[in-house]
Formats: sequence, C-alpha cells, structure tokens
Amino acid sequence: MTVNAISQPALKVRGLHKEFGRFVALDSVDLTVADGEIRAIIGPNGAGKTTLINVLSGQIVADRGSVEIAGRRLSRQHPHQVAKLGVGRTYQISSTLRRMTVFDNMLCAHNAVSGNWFSLRAGRLRAMEDAVLADLKTIELDGLANQVVDDISHGDRKRLEFGMVLATRPKVLLLDEPTAGMGLRERHELIDLVLAVTRERRLTLVFVEHDIDVVFKAAESITVMALGGVFAEGKPDEIAANSAVQDIYLGGNA
Amino acid sequence: MARGEGPPTESGSALQGRDAYSINWRLVAAVVLLQAILLVVSPPLLVFALIEVMIFALYASALNLLLSFSGMVSFGHAVYFGLGAYGLALSITHFDFPIALGIVAGPLVAAFFGLIYGILCVQLTAIYAAMLTLACAEVTYAVVFQWFDVTGGDSGISGHVPTMLGLAPYQFGLVVLCVVTVAILMLWRVVYSPLGLTIRAVGQNPARAAALGHGRKSIQLIAFVISAFFSGVAGTLFGIFHGNVFPDYVGVLFTVDGLLMVVLGGLYSFGAGIYGAIIYKLLDNLAAHYFQYWQLVVGVIIVVVVLVSPSGIAGLVRRIVDRFERRP
Repeated sequence: MTVNAISQPALKVRGLHKEFGRFVALDSVDLTVADGEIRAIIGPNGAGKTTLINVLSGQIVADRGSVEIAGRRLSRQHPHQVAKLGVGRTYQISSTLRRMTVFDNMLCAHNAVSGNWFSLRAGRLRAMEDAVLADLKTIELDGLANQVVDDISHGDRKRLEFGMVLATRPKVLLLDEPTAGMGLRERHELIDLVLAVTRERRLTLVFVEHDIDVVFKAAESITVMALGGVFAEGKPDEIAANSAVQDIYLGGNA
Repeated sequence: MARGEGPPTESGSALQGRDAYSINWRLVAAVVLLQAILLVVSPPLLVFALIEVMIFALYASALNLLLSFSGMVSFGHAVYFGLGAYGLALSITHFDFPIALGIVAGPLVAAFFGLIYGILCVQLTAIYAAMLTLACAEVTYAVVFQWFDVTGGDSGISGHVPTMLGLAPYQFGLVVLCVVTVAILMLWRVVYSPLGLTIRAVGQNPARAAALGHGRKSIQLIAFVISAFFSGVAGTLFGIFHGNVFPDYVGVLFTVDGLLMVVLGGLYSFGAGIYGAIIYKLLDNLAAHYFQYWQLVVGVIIVVVVLVSPSGIAGLVRRIVDRFERRP
C-alpha cells in the first residue's frame, strides 16, 4: 500500500450510524481508505457491510456521521449525484439492463458519461461504438456483444456490471460481493480482472466479499465488521493471525 | 415469461446486422405509399376507419414511449389526448385564435398538463405513480365535465372547426397520414437517440441508471412530457376529424383503449402502438359488425393474445421474421 502523503484519503468515514427500526445496522463506523488502496470488508451476515456500501453510494442516508469522498463531504446526495463524484458501485445481485444487449448496456454507460445523454442525434451513439467494443474487449465480453443480457450467464452479468461501472471512469470502486454466486474459476478470473484494472488505473477499491481466498488474494488491507461496527482492521496477515477474528468469522468458514 | 419464446427485448443494438438506430426509409416509404393508395381508393366509410386507426396509432405510440421504455404506467393518458382536442377548441372559442394557431395550441396544452401532472407523478414509482396518473385524470375529467361555462360540460364543444377542415375524407386522410408519419418518426428519433437510451436505461433499471449518473425523476419527466405532447397531437387530429370535443375524450375509456392497443401490439417494442391500433380497431369494427356482444369477443381475443404471446403482435411478427431470416 502506497499512501501519498499529500493526497487526501479516497474515503473517510466518521461515526457513521444507521438504524432500521430497532436494528442497529451501522454502529459508529470509522473507516479511512487511502487513495489507491485495495480494501476488503468482511464479516458475518448482518454485520452491516452492504448498508455501509449503500450509505457510501448515496442509496441510504445515515442517521449520524460523516462521509468524505476525496475530501468532499456527502450531505444527502442522491445516488446519481454521488456517482458523478467518481464513485462506481456494483450490487450483490448484479444490476444491469436485462432487456438490452450486452453492447447496448455498455453503450448506456458510455452515453451516461458522454455529457450528451439528452441529445437526439443517433450519430452520437454510433460515434461511441469503437470505445464500447474496446471496453467489452477489456472485460472479455466482446464475443457476447449481441446477446440479450437476460440470456447470458450470471457470471458474465457480474462481469458486464463491473465493465459498465468502469466505463463511467470512477475514482473509487465499491463492489458489493463481486463474485457472489459464481463458480470457482469464474470467481478468480473476475477478481484478477478487477485487480488488473484497479492497479492499472490507480483506482481505489473497496469490496465486500465472503470468499476468504479471494479476500486474501486481493486485499491490501482488511476491515472486519460485526454487529454494525468495525471489529478489526489491518493487513491480511494481521487479520489472519487475529484470534478474535478467527472466532467470530474465519473459524466457521475456513 | 412465457414458455417457448425468449424474453421481450428491446431491439436497437448497432451491431445487429442492419443498424437499428437508423430509420428504414424503404419500409417507411412503402407503408406510407400503401396507406395513401388505400385512402384514395377506399369508400368514405373505410377512409373514416383508416383515419381513426392512424390517429390511434400515434396516440398508442406516444403512450408506448411510457409503457415500454420509460418504466412508467399511465392510467390516465386520455387526458393528454383529450386536452389536445380541448386545447384546439378552447383556444378558438375563448381566445379567438385562428384555426391554424389553435391546431398548434392543442398539443402544447397537452404537453403543459403533461409537465404539471408529470412533476407530481414522477415523485412516486410503480403502482403508486400509476394511481396518481389515474387521480390526475379523474380530476381533469371532473373539471371538464362540470365547468359548463367554459367546456360546455356534457354537451362538449362543436362548430369551432369545420369537420375534417372541410376537406374530402381522403384528402383529410392524407393530411393525417403526413402528420402521423412525421410524429411517429419523431418518436422513433427520441427512442433511438442518446436521450432514448437514457430513458430506456432509467425505465429498465433506475438503480443502475442512478449508479451511471442519471436521476430518475427528471428523465421520466422528460419522457412524460414528450408522450403527452404526441398524445395531444393525436387528440388534436381527432378533434378536427370529428369537428367537436366531449368529456369522453379525456375519459377512462380512451385511456383503456390506448393501454389495450399497446399490450396487444406488444410491450417493449417500438411498433406496439401501430400494430395494436390496427388490430384493435379492426377487431372493434369487425366484431361490432358480426356479434351482438362484440366487446366480449374483443375481450376474449385480447386475453388469448396476451396468454399466447405476451410480447404481443410485435413479438409474433419478430418471430416470423426471424424464422425467415434464418433460412438460407
């Protein structure tokens, strides 16, 4: 992990608190992710991982606490406004445009950041074709360009979702279980792709993941959440050696 | 999803053989020419039916922009259709507009109400938004029905514009053909443009669209106003066609007609409104001619079509075309 002394943290969370009824989903969470860092968030079900991602991306407004993204403080922005700050997110259950082709999905992503989304000139879309195909090649889905998303595999859909997020040129990636429900091989192929792109573009990556192999392969640092709070934080080897973490989390699964 | 067929999809990929984002001018020319010939050679009674089909094809296509592409349902779209006709009538009777200006005013009045009601309706989503469109429609109907001094209440307004502008039926038919063709081509331009892609993205998956940077409300509002405008164009034509306007034009039956046409034509397809209007009006006329309980017959046919082919006539046509294209 290289922390540039001058640059601000990509993500700075202080005292984040969120309750759903009586259930405390986030309990004064502090989190600092440096620019360019690759951070895994792990923890048992109900630990508040997805809620955290939802707050960071503007889906949910926290009851208390602050979120700063590259020095800019969030204050009740809507998801599309947070997206424009350079935050790209994927969902636990992949979220794509399922009645469109793979190509058109990627076209949507390019269209969204073109600055001309309101244009009536079809020529603007044709002008994006090469860039769209190039991006599909990056995520190795160019062969499926004309397939309707409903017809492609679960893993390919996750890959497409990731690709669409990339196309919006985010600075911070929030991936909620990027490999959930995928086969072992697919899983590692996808995470290799995510890592390669993240490093190449010097992005900041925060990902929630249940697969411990994937976590230890990818993460530069790990945040362990439990019962809505941050339970432990550190380098992968520190976390692996932490007996308390083993008790609540790794023990049962490893 | 029905068995035996793929899910309904939105064609439009630039990679599918022919560039789907550009207009197939040959097809357009062929259809327009055929329709023009039909209008000229048919007896007046059939010409009237053809004019009605064209007007409703535009109305249903405008509604289809909402249903198929923007992810909204309108249970009160007759409001914008009817307000087109009322806009024409009232601008002439109450503001002494010349007829030509009144014709322009009709769609603008519809679009204006589309903006006002649209701002309300996009605050909600799904069934709640749909119920709000219904509420807006009921309010409009009540006002139009009861504000006797202005709208003439139940007896409507007539005599403000000569029926069919005083033209012969086939001549007026040709005028309608021109207007409807241009309007539907404009709708095509909307759907298959960057704006249309944005509308479709929001319509299919507001969460993903938001993650890409699109706010749902503003984009659905744009779609709503466009749809209201073109519904208003159809309503204005309808008002000229009959030379009158009644509260029924903003009523629930015209709304249901539009919805049925789109569903019959096939959701998630651009042609839904056109196919639907043709089939629905054909059924309407034929069934009424042969059966006493014709509405029952039409209802049963619609149920069967929806069960057999949820993607409507458009899906059926697409499957047939696909089969032909696969053969060498």
